[in-house]
Amino acid sequence: MARRSFALHGLMAAALLGAAPALASDPPPAKPLRIVSLDLCADQLLIELVERNRIAAVTFMAADPAVSAIPQKARGLAVTRGAAEDVLRIDPDLVLAGPFGVSATVDLLRRLGKRVVVVPQPQDLGGVADAVRSVARAVGEAARGEALVADFERRLAGVAPRSAFRPTAVIYQVGGSVSGPGSFANSALAAAGFRNLAADYRLSRGGQVPLESLLAQPPDLLVLASEANEYRTALADNLRHPVIGLLRRRGASIELPWRLWLCGTPHVIEALERLGAARGRLEARAR
Amino acid sequence: MMPRLPGVEARNVRLLGALAAAVVVAFLLSLSVGPAGFGLSFPGEAGALIFREIRLPRAVLGALIGGALGLSGAALQGYLRNPLAEPSLVGVSGGAALGAVLAIHLGLSSALALALPLGGLLGAALAMLAVLALAGAHGGPVTLILAGLAVSAIATALISLALNLSQNPFAAVEMVFWMMGSLADRSLTQVWIAAPLMLAGIGLLLTVARALDALTLGEDAATSLGIDLARTRLAVVAGTALAVGAATAVTGIIGFVGLIVPHLLRPLAGHRPGLLLPASLLGGALMLLVADVALRLLAPWVELRIGVLTALIGAPFFVWLVLRTRSELAP
Repeated sequence: MARRSFALHGLMAAALLGAAPALASDPPPAKPLRIVSLDLCADQLLIELVERNRIAAVTFMAADPAVSAIPQKARGLAVTRGAAEDVLRIDPDLVLAGPFGVSATVDLLRRLGKRVVVVPQPQDLGGVADAVRSVARAVGEAARGEALVADFERRLAGVAPRSAFRPTAVIYQVGGSVSGPGSFANSALAAAGFRNLAADYRLSRGGQVPLESLLAQPPDLLVLASEANEYRTALADNLRHPVIGLLRRRGASIELPWRLWLCGTPHVIEALERLGAARGRLEARAR
Repeated sequence: MMPRLPGVEARNVRLLGALAAAVVVAFLLSLSVGPAGFGLSFPGEAGALIFREIRLPRAVLGALIGGALGLSGAALQGYLRNPLAEPSLVGVSGGAALGAVLAIHLGLSSALALALPLGGLLGAALAMLAVLALAGAHGGPVTLILAGLAVSAIATALISLALNLSQNPFAAVEMVFWMMGSLADRSLTQVWIAAPLMLAGIGLLLTVARALDALTLGEDAATSLGIDLARTRLAVVAGTALAVGAATAVTGIIGFVGLIVPHLLRPLAGHRPGLLLPASLLGGALMLLVADVALRLLAPWVELRIGVLTALIGAPFFVWLVLRTRSELAP
């Protein structure tokens, strides 16, 4: 739907612009009991940090398995379309928003006296802890936040490569765009011990790589962010191109669904572990 | 000595021969250009694949779609006796894109690949009929353009609605895909599903050559020369819908080729619509192939969309045509 695509493009814009809005210094939080989230990524942090009965509404994307890392946990929660009027009807004591796409709504809610916390969008893996802590502080669950961060960092350490072996990888998406240098996905590739080949294709943060380049200079690991039939869109034609099938038969490839790394939440660790395992297999084969 | 075909003078043979030779050169150039380097053969299996799976479909679609657009433009201008007629300006391309969008988003094209060009064909035919009904048989150039604008606006709005309603996070990007066509990363599969329909449309449009020549004398004179006006109309509508509908379904809207090419070739074709048809078929193929080569040379690391380039060239040309038409129509 329109709002979902809007929010996703906001996320892509976040990756493109590289902006990291400062978190307003909020007053020391009590424990808000009617929390509304207007952002897919904030939804997922909120769900992990507070009891369900304190969540008044999340976005309808939170339960969508195509974009949410934890759709099953979001099922059954009330949803909001994100319009200010919709939010006011719920009468929340805390509103979580993302940094992009909803600034008019955020301004309006603040003018009407609602407490709004804008959750930062991490630009790299280092920003994940900041995002968790900002939500944890806002909802008064600092200890649970720290536990979440500690678990994430423990598993992150487990993914870190233990040799100098650095195979190349490319994250190839619907429409042929790849995650280039400076993107969140790029830092995920680096943390899992890969060198992002997108830089060699002379692409910047986002950009479309011609299939010809992919064929002329194939990566050691082709990472596919979606399946061709996952979305009904003309843009998925590139994933159906015989060249992609051929690259998959000839070299290593994995599917790394978007939902796992779209948001800079600790759930990205599952994507990292899959990348780490793929790197291990490549290393074993190289020996 | 070849037997002289009636109406085919040496000058015409030279024109068509020169255009055909230029198309062959442009086709080979298109095969030679790409991010992996210049040339027609590359070492190894990857080289053969680049050639067969990536550059060949691109060059074939460039030639076919350019030809289909150039020919449709010439046929529409000849049949409507209107210098501003062109598939994208009269709403046929917009209708085709709408049909293709519906075929994809209703899931028809994933069930049956042929549903995609058929959707484009159906949308193009409906748009064409709507424009003819709106503008009427004797509406002037301005009426036709206004009718085309209206039909295009409706098609664009419905495409937008379909994309908004689909569970699809790429709606905004896909809008650009349809509005500004591209030949990049098309596959032979798409050639196979679109080419037969496009070729059928091209063949149908070429049959109206004699009728268009006769129509320059007016409808009554054409009828007295034995031209079946209803059949001509059907051939123009069906041919354009087949050619433009199937083309647009696999690449998105590529505008203005059908406007520019017939105008550039008309003086060379001796202002005879019948000869202008095959000339515009070849000229359209030439223009699109050259434009596609140019954008890959100018901006090798950006996937510049060919629809952007043809619009950048075509829109100023359109302005010039409007100014000229206005001065001709001025009392």
